[in-house]
Amino acid sequence: MSARGFGSVIWAGAVAGAALGFYLVSLNVASERAELEQVETKIALAQRDIRLLQTEIGTRGRLAQLERWNVKFIRLSAPTADQFVEGGFQLATMVTPHKKPAIEAPVVLASAPVEQAISSRPKLTGDADGPAVPATAPKSASDMMYVASYGVSSKAITRPSSVKPQPIKPTATAPANTVADKPQKPAAATKPAKTATADPLAPLPTAKPKAKGGAPTASAGAATPKRTHKDSDSD
Amino acid sequence: MNAPTPALVARPERLRLVGQRRQILALMHQRLMFGMLLFAGIIAIICLRLIWLAAFGDHAGRKGGALDLTPERGDIVDREGHALARTIDAWIIGLQPAKVIGNKLDLARKLAQLMPEKDEAQYLAMLRSGRSFYYLRRRASPSLVAAINSLGEPGLALQREPDRLYPQLSLAAHVVGYTDIDGKGNAGIERAFDEQLRDPARRGQPIVTSVSSRVQQALEHELDAAKTHFSAIGAAGVIMNIHTGEILAMTSLPQLNPNAAGQGTPEARFNRATLGVYELGSTFKPFTVAMAMDAGVVKSFGQMYPCPKSLRVGNRSISDTHPFGRACSVAEIMKESSNIGTAQIADQLGPTRQKEFLRKMGFLDKVEIELKERGRTLTPGNQWNQVETMTVGYGHGIAVTPLHLATGYATLFNGGIYRPATLLKVDKNHAPGKGHRVFTEETSYKMRSLLRLVVTEGTGKKADAPGYRVGGKTGTANKPVAGGYSNTRVVTSFAGVFPMDEPRYVMVVMLDEPQPTKETYGFRTAGWNAAPIFSKTVSRIAPMLGVRPDKNREPNMAEVLPFVHEDK
Repeated sequence: MSARGFGSVIWAGAVAGAALGFYLVSLNVASERAELEQVETKIALAQRDIRLLQTEIGTRGRLAQLERWNVKFIRLSAPTADQFVEGGFQLATMVTPHKKPAIEAPVVLASAPVEQAISSRPKLTGDADGPAVPATAPKSASDMMYVASYGVSSKAITRPSSVKPQPIKPTATAPANTVADKPQKPAAATKPAKTATADPLAPLPTAKPKAKGGAPTASAGAATPKRTHKDSDSD
Repeated sequence: MNAPTPALVARPERLRLVGQRRQILALMHQRLMFGMLLFAGIIAIICLRLIWLAAFGDHAGRKGGALDLTPERGDIVDREGHALARTIDAWIIGLQPAKVIGNKLDLARKLAQLMPEKDEAQYLAMLRSGRSFYYLRRRASPSLVAAINSLGEPGLALQREPDRLYPQLSLAAHVVGYTDIDGKGNAGIERAFDEQLRDPARRGQPIVTSVSSRVQQALEHELDAAKTHFSAIGAAGVIMNIHTGEILAMTSLPQLNPNAAGQGTPEARFNRATLGVYELGSTFKPFTVAMAMDAGVVKSFGQMYPCPKSLRVGNRSISDTHPFGRACSVAEIMKESSNIGTAQIADQLGPTRQKEFLRKMGFLDKVEIELKERGRTLTPGNQWNQVETMTVGYGHGIAVTPLHLATGYATLFNGGIYRPATLLKVDKNHAPGKGHRVFTEETSYKMRSLLRLVVTEGTGKKADAPGYRVGGKTGTANKPVAGGYSNTRVVTSFAGVFPMDEPRYVMVVMLDEPQPTKETYGFRTAGWNAAPIFSKTVSRIAPMLGVRPDKNREPNMAEVLPFVHEDK
C-alpha cells in the first residue's frame, strides 16, 4: 500500500526530473545557438569592415595616384629589352663572384698544429697509456671542423676540466716538450710553456680522457686566460 | 461565468421543498465545477504555452535574421579582381524645417559656416519654408557629419543611403560607365548590365570585366600625355586579345570622373572608342592587301603596280605623301603607305568583294560589343562605285569606330577568324564569342611580315618597341568639314599587333586633331604623334601581359624584304 503510494510520488518525481532535464538540454542548445549567432554577426560585421577598408585603401592607392607619384618623384620607367635575362645562368654570369675574406677559418684550423698533434699523439700516448691511441685518432678530424666556429672558447672551458689533462704545446717542439712535461703534470708547472706557443684558434679534442699527453696538445690552443681558470680548478 | 450567479441566490420560498433544494445544490455544484474547470483549463493552456516557448521558442537576445551583406547594386571588378565600381553606405544630410526647435537664425548661420555652398539667407529661407524635407548634402564626408551631429538639432536628419563609388575614379570610366543619383545605370557596363546589377539573386556576384586595370592605366596615361603634348581635342585607345576578343583596355579622352558624371562635359561623356566614327585612313590598307591576296588578285608581295606621282580617277585625283614616280611592289606600297598603289589594288578587287569582306569583318554594322553606346558606321552605301572602292581601299569614305579597327586587326592576325569583342572576362563562366572565318590562315601569316616591315623600314618606325616585335600601320586622315576635307584638322591613328612573330595583342591608338610641334618638324602625321604612343605603351604593358622581349626574334621577313627596292 505504502509502496504503491510512494510509487506515484516517485513517478511524478521522475517525470518532473525528466522534464527538467529536457528543459535544460533545450536551454543549453538555445544558448549555444545564441552564441553561434553572435559569432556569425561578428563575422558579418568584420566582413563589412574589410570591404569598407578595402574600398578606402583602393581609393587612396588608386592607379592614377600611383602614376602621379611615379611621374613626379619615383620616376620608374618600363624595363628595356636588355634588362631581361634568359634565366638563372645568364644572370649568374653577370655577377662576378665575391672575393672571400683574407682570413679563412678552415685554413687556420687545418694548420700545422693539428696535424702534428695527431702525428705526435701516438708517440705521447705510447709514452703515457697504450689504449688512448684509437680513441684520439678518429676524433681528430671532426675536432678540426668543430673548432671552426666561435664556440671554441666555451668548449675549451668544459673539456679540459673534465679530462683534467695538462696540455702540451702542439708545435714542432711538442714531442720534446711533452716528454719533459709529463712528469710535471701533477705539479701543474706547464702553464708558462703553454701560453707561449698557444694558438688561440687551435682545435680542441672532444674525447680523449685517457690520452693525457695527446689530447691536451690540441686543447692547448684554447685561450690562455681560460686555461688559467681551469688549472686553478683542477689543481 | 456570470450567468449562473442569479440562479445561485435562490428564493427562500422555493427552498422549502427538499427535493427542489437538492436539485438546486446539484446544479450549483455542477456550475461551480464547470467554472473551476474553465479556469483550470485556461491556466493549463497558459502553462503549456509557457513550456512550449521555453522548450522551442527563441531566446530573448535573438537578432532579427543574419546581417545581409549583399550590396544594393552588384560590384564591377577588373579581370584581376580589383574593384572598378562598388556600392557603399554614404551619409546624407537632410533638413526637416518643421522639427527644428532651436533658434533658426543661429542654425542658418552655423549651416552656412559648415556648408558654404549656400549662404545664411538661403538656409534661413529653407528653415522658414513650409517644406517637410530638404537634401542639404548627399555623400557627405564623415567629418562634416560629425560636425552636423554635434549641433544637436533634431531638425537635421543624418541618414545612410547606398551610393555608387568608383574607387579608381576616371580609370576605364567609359567602360564601366556611371549611374544616376537613383542608382540606375546610365552608361557603359552600368547601363548594359543594369538588370543583372540590380537583380537580388545575381548582384551578390560581381561582374568580372575583361579589363585589366594596370594595362588600362598605362594606356590612359600614355594617351593623355600625348593628347596634352600635341594639343589634341580628344583621343581613344583599345587593347584587345586577338584570340578571344577580350578588351584589356579601352579608353576615350578627355577623361570623365564617373563619381561626378553630371559635372563632366558632353565631350567627356562621349565614348570615342565605340560611339565615335572616324575615317581612319591608311590603317585600312592592310585589309585591302589581305582581301586582294585572299581573292587571288595579289599573288605575292613582289607584284608590281605603276605608281605615278598622281592618279586621276573620274573627277578625283589621288596623291601620295611619299610619291614613288616609278613602278613599285606591294611591299613598297605598304611600307611607304602609297594611296595610289592601294587604290589600284582595291580597284582590281572590285566593290562587290570589298563589300563582302567588310561585311564579314563587321565594318558595315554597329560594332559588336556589350555596351549600348555603339556608333553607326558611315559607308558609301548605294554609291559604292569604282572611285568609292578605291578610296575605301585606303580608308577614306568609310568611317568606323576605333574598336572596329581593333577587331579588324584581330581578325587579320589571329589566323583570319572574326570574333566579336567582349568586355567580360573569358573563362569557364563566359565563353568567347562565336567566330567565323574571313581570311585564310596563309594570308594572315603573310601579313605579319608586311606590317612588321612598316615598323622596321616604313612610316611606323617610331612605333617600334625594341624586343617586342611590333607590327602595325599608321593612318592619317583629314577630317571632313563643310564642303570637303580640312587640311589642318586630321585624325591620326596607329593600329598594330605584338609580338609579330606570334601575334597575341592588338592595340589601336587614335588622336583627334593633334597639332604639329617643334619635335615633329611641323608634321602632324600619325608616324610622328600616334606611333610613339604605341611604342611607349607596349614597353609598359607587354611585360605585364607576359610577352618577353627578345631582340633575336622576328617574323619571317624573307616574305617581304626581297621586294623592297633600296634607293640608296
